[in-house]
Amino acid sequence: MNSVGMAIIYAVPIVLASYALSRRDGTFRRGMTRAVEQFAMLVPRMFCALVAAGFVAKLIPTEFISRFLGDEAGITAIFIGTVIGLVIPSGPVVVFSIAATFAKAGAADSALIAFITSWTIFAFHRVIIYEIPLLGVSFLRLRLLSVLLLPILAGLMTMGVNRAWEWISVS
Amino acid sequence: MISDANRQWLLKLLSDGFGKSFWWFFAFAIAMGVVCYQMLGPEAFQAAVREDLKLVTGMLPRVIAALTVAGMIWVLLPRDRLSRLIGKKSGFRGLVIATAAGVITPGGPASAYPLLAVMGSAGADRGALVAYITSWAILGMQRILIWDLPFMGAEFSLTRFLVCLPLPILAGLIARWLPLSLSLVEERQPQPVSKGPAPDAQSEGERK
Repeated sequence: MNSVGMAIIYAVPIVLASYALSRRDGTFRRGMTRAVEQFAMLVPRMFCALVAAGFVAKLIPTEFISRFLGDEAGITAIFIGTVIGLVIPSGPVVVFSIAATFAKAGAADSALIAFITSWTIFAFHRVIIYEIPLLGVSFLRLRLLSVLLLPILAGLMTMGVNRAWEWISVS
Repeated sequence: MISDANRQWLLKLLSDGFGKSFWWFFAFAIAMGVVCYQMLGPEAFQAAVREDLKLVTGMLPRVIAALTVAGMIWVLLPRDRLSRLIGKKSGFRGLVIATAAGVITPGGPASAYPLLAVMGSAGADRGALVAYITSWAILGMQRILIWDLPFMGAEFSLTRFLVCLPLPILAGLIARWLPLSLSLVEERQPQPVSKGPAPDAQSEGERK
């Protein structure tokens, strides 16, 4: 899968750039200018954020937290999952290895889904590296208020679906 | 020989890249490094540094590719058509289209956020913008295929996808309903080159 993904990642810019070049009206130049501007704005910050995230990931007490995410914790586990997802400032490598650790330690599906959803929505590093420079603070405010409850909703819906499923298979 | 406009553009790039928030990041990274070293010892510290460097070198080409795509789309996209699809009058259909676009957008944040900025400057509706980026974040196909599936298994990934499917549209509806003012960076910023002469840059040029 990874190699197909990589092929797409590199094929799309080549196709688009050749099309822009073939128009011969400065489209390619303008597009590249914008790409270079955004590169300069984003990459130095990204470098620092990634290095910091690597250290933070080492500092998170995963084993300790996973004790509070079991099935018996119910809605509390959903809240805890949401909060942890909110504070992890790093990419999918770290987050999914943490999620896998949680799952191995017996965390409930609802808590795991709340955790992953919360991370994907709030991912702190993404907000600072991309969202604030490219969109601005007023967009961030609007978006955060709009999505505030989604991870908890996702967790509750998972719980509901699982309960319904159990009920059906028992009766 | 670099022309004046070009030099100003380069200086603008430098100040964008190494502005105030860069140094905050820099300080944060160093602080975390120190904490890591103190609490976990030199071996864990070195392991973290090695992983970080591997991650950064792996990401750089992908970021370049993604930004090239975003730049090309920015100049090639027919804006009037886009704003009709997800603009202010697009209604519920606009939210559905934005959600679908988020699901299929390939690449990480380096492609999704520049695209979001393109949509914003093309006059997309605020609900559609929120629906798009939320959908990309929770439902993005690429992330599910590369990360969810191998790490969490097919059943879990499918459950998460189905449970989360209506959420971006809900977020878009909430964003439309919220009484907040919205001004995007793209609309406020004038073109960097036309910003007028920078006196420091000129005097430095004369000295050389």
